[in-house]
Amino acid sequence: MGIRGVTVSDVRGFGAQGGSTERHGGSEFSEDKFIAKVKMEIVVCKDQVEAVVEKIIEEARTGEIGDGKIFLIPVSDVIRVRTGERGEKAERMSGGRADMMSLTASID
Amino acid sequence: MKSAALQSSVINDLVLLSCVGLRPVLVHGGGPEINSWLLRLGHEPQFHNGLRVTDALTMEVVEMVLVGKVNKSLVSLINSAGGTAVGLCGKDARLLTARPTPDAAALGFVGEVARVDPGILRPILADGHIPVIASVAADENGQSYNVNADTAAGEIAAAMGAEKLILLTDVAGILEDRNDPDSLVKEIDISGIRKMVMEKKVAGGMIPKVNCCVRSLAQGVRTASIIDGRVPHSLLLEILTDEGAGTMITG
Repeated sequence: MGIRGVTVSDVRGFGAQGGSTERHGGSEFSEDKFIAKVKMEIVVCKDQVEAVVEKIIEEARTGEIGDGKIFLIPVSDVIRVRTGERGEKAERMSGGRADMMSLTASID
Repeated sequence: MKSAALQSSVINDLVLLSCVGLRPVLVHGGGPEINSWLLRLGHEPQFHNGLRVTDALTMEVVEMVLVGKVNKSLVSLINSAGGTAVGLCGKDARLLTARPTPDAAALGFVGEVARVDPGILRPILADGHIPVIASVAADENGQSYNVNADTAAGEIAAAMGAEKLILLTDVAGILEDRNDPDSLVKEIDISGIRKMVMEKKVAGGMIPKVNCCVRSLAQGVRTASIIDGRVPHSLLLEILTDEGAGTMITG
């Protein structure tokens, strides 16, 4: 779908589940115990957001406690360190949605 | 597993898999044997919503039959087939720690898996032996609990980071249309199977098995399969071929 980069970190976390426990590695963990989790950070154009959210939910949902949350955060600017580009040019990545769209446009 | 010939065939397959380098872990229950011994003692087996009502006497019988008889007979079969088995139950090395189910008032000593400590399994597997685990466990205070074998298998698979969970049953797998034996679902993902359950296409005894598979997948097990134990070499077919021998649920 044109997403060409993501940052993934191994973190620990917990979330209040109204008394239910979360299962991890076969064992049950109550609300206040830290469990190993994965955090993903993806920066996209505003108009891609809904598609990305839907995709994450489609792939990651198991229906069990511990599926996690998506936080949508506005990003005030994107700067590419290597070239100093800012804004839309910096957010664009090769092979990403912009390239995919211009490719389909030229096949007429 | 009712027929001795079938049991023997499954055991041979297990030993073969172990010989070629896989590290299988066998978890077992033993409903029919438990029923038979309870009847011998003049005690009628009772079930509530598909789970065995386990009072104090039943718990004693369950523990004796599963750990003392079924477990050792499987260990013996594996040894005869050329493998080397080590028989354990949930209590050994605190492999499984149980807690009462929410339904304890009606069910008695039926346990949920509170914690798994797979430590003891690693040296056994590293030495090329096959662990055979009876689904009896104790709680923090040492009180014995009867744990459902499928549940125990699912949680042990999650704790070990297993590649595959395989539930051997006596049906073909999950059917898209209950009345059409050719409509076997070969592969499906979590959301697909949840949809089937909501559409009531999965019913009765299959629902807890499906839930057990989903729970296991949600904790990182790669695939969970429900296969037909009545088919000869179903285990080999499932693990070593693309077609498999039942329904595979992927994460």
